[in-house]
Amino acid sequence: MTAILKHALCALYPRTDFFPGLGDMDLDRFVREFRRDASAMLLLGMYAGLVLFVLTPVLTVYVPLPSFLLPRSLLDRHASRAATFPLYPLRSLILVLKLVAGLCWGAHPLVRERLGLPPLPADPQEWRRA
Amino acid sequence: MSHVSYRREPYSGETDYVVVGSGAGGAVAAVELARSGARVTLVEAGAWRDPEHYPHSVYGALHHLFDDWGSLVARGRAMWPIVQGRCVGGTTVINSAICVRTPEDIFAQWAREHGISGLRDAVLGHQEDLERELCASPVPPQSAGRANHLALLGANQLGYESHVITRYVKGCAGTGQCLQGCRGLKKQSLNVTFVREVTERGGEVLSCAPVDRILFEGKRAVGVSGRFRDEATRRRGGKFVLRARRGVVVAASVTRSPLLLRRSGVALPALGKFFRAHPGTGVFGVYDEIVDMNVGATQGWASTAFRSEPGLKLETLSLPPEMVASRLSGGGTELLRKLREYRHLAMWVAAVRAESVGEVRAGLFGQPVVRYSLDRADMERLRHGLVLVARTHFAAGARRIIPGVYGLPYSLGPDEVKVLEQGPLDPRDYVGVISHLFGGCVMGSDPARSVVDDRGRVHGYEGLVVCDASVIPTNLGVNPQHTIMGLARTFARRLLDA
Repeated sequence: MTAILKHALCALYPRTDFFPGLGDMDLDRFVREFRRDASAMLLLGMYAGLVLFVLTPVLTVYVPLPSFLLPRSLLDRHASRAATFPLYPLRSLILVLKLVAGLCWGAHPLVRERLGLPPLPADPQEWRRA
Repeated sequence: MSHVSYRREPYSGETDYVVVGSGAGGAVAAVELARSGARVTLVEAGAWRDPEHYPHSVYGALHHLFDDWGSLVARGRAMWPIVQGRCVGGTTVINSAICVRTPEDIFAQWAREHGISGLRDAVLGHQEDLERELCASPVPPQSAGRANHLALLGANQLGYESHVITRYVKGCAGTGQCLQGCRGLKKQSLNVTFVREVTERGGEVLSCAPVDRILFEGKRAVGVSGRFRDEATRRRGGKFVLRARRGVVVAASVTRSPLLLRRSGVALPALGKFFRAHPGTGVFGVYDEIVDMNVGATQGWASTAFRSEPGLKLETLSLPPEMVASRLSGGGTELLRKLREYRHLAMWVAAVRAESVGEVRAGLFGQPVVRYSLDRADMERLRHGLVLVARTHFAAGARRIIPGVYGLPYSLGPDEVKVLEQGPLDPRDYVGVISHLFGGCVMGSDPARSVVDDRGRVHGYEGLVVCDASVIPTNLGVNPQHTIMGLARTFARRLLDA
């Protein structure tokens, strides 16, 4: 499941000549931490979005294959069309998947550098305990 | 002990007043009670983070400061997220600290429609004091950022009223981090002001302590009980029981206060009803110049010129790259091509003073479920607001706008605003957010149609007061924090006088 999730996230944010892609980042760590931290509702939304992303190439690029078996050019087209699909439940659940992937992608130092923003320090994991 | 956080062992205590929730309502009520010399215990479901503990990333903010990662969505025709804080200080930690006095027409509406009178002078008087105590001031020009300057310029060009926002911020440094918590201690969120004062006055704070029930003796509220919850592992800890000699004040939020009352056995027909909000969405302007919306005040400009007719509020709102990435349409290389424009984008939003009414209920596992759909009239308002925002962008010099509406082209030029004017009226075609929640425990004189009276007292009970946005029976059409705080101080004073 983790490999399929990572594949889908990378398809939404691939490497380009300007930006690094999610595949260039420590996605294993992100997925591990997100699974640990996220609310049940958000995890449910993400996995529902993943299932739809994997199963719908037949609707978006008219190829009856799961997304992880698509060649690269078709996968990119599927990623674009799935996020703008006419069916609201599909579109909104892919939005959840995009939001989750964006949390990792947008915080990466190389992405921020490209956008003229300073790198983010690590989040403190502390709070008042007494 | 002035602060008690997660623990495995049971905890019990006795105090004069227990206040449930430490946001705009709870913290103001608690400090008012503490200033009178009463002993107060403030109980908060989330953790207590000081500015040095605030996260830097959006991931961290959603995880540590927002209620349930902002993943509570309204169930209706469309699923729009409902945004609230969950930490000591509540939503005041993650909002833009916007300070707007309660409009005069609201008091008249409360009297006319809900039989609530006699609040105006008290609320406005307290708001004046709160502005002084929390250093309310307009965003200074040097920290406004380019996006806010452009909005002011656009509105001036179009000739409608708009203004630099007044906020509870002291010496804004323009870091654009309002929504992640102000690490620079400039924003006067209530965790760094009134909650601290409560402890300095001998009060106590319980954090990581969600309240399960209000305890009653007959019809008198005499305390609360719950179980600690570990912030990191979500593990349930020891049970806590707090006895209140003089009263219990509930300010757990619009989505949680009605459920707490219902779980505790309060059975009033209006409980959970009359949920209202300011649903909204934004339009990006694409400028030739570098805007860097992430630099400067997160929200520094607003217009209330359209508050009465058609019922809109316009504001700037800067978004970090993480959020813009999911807000722009598409995926794959097409999405990343669009994201190259990030530095040239400015996001301004239209929020509707919606007339649609919803309901808050308990879900299968006791979690809040909000049923709420925007009707056609509200969708027409929203679309009208987006057209106004689009025109303002063009008046400010935008080359294109990105409306973010499904079914419309990705971007529109200055001559194509008509396309947006004829845009869809289905909420599913918009990526919206529901903020500024009202109702669920609305005030009124009739117990059949309301939950609390003009003192915030729950009808039919003694020693039980509600003082958060859930008591507000109408849609304000302005940012509600100042109204919540004015009402909370009024109700706390009246509780002391009782």
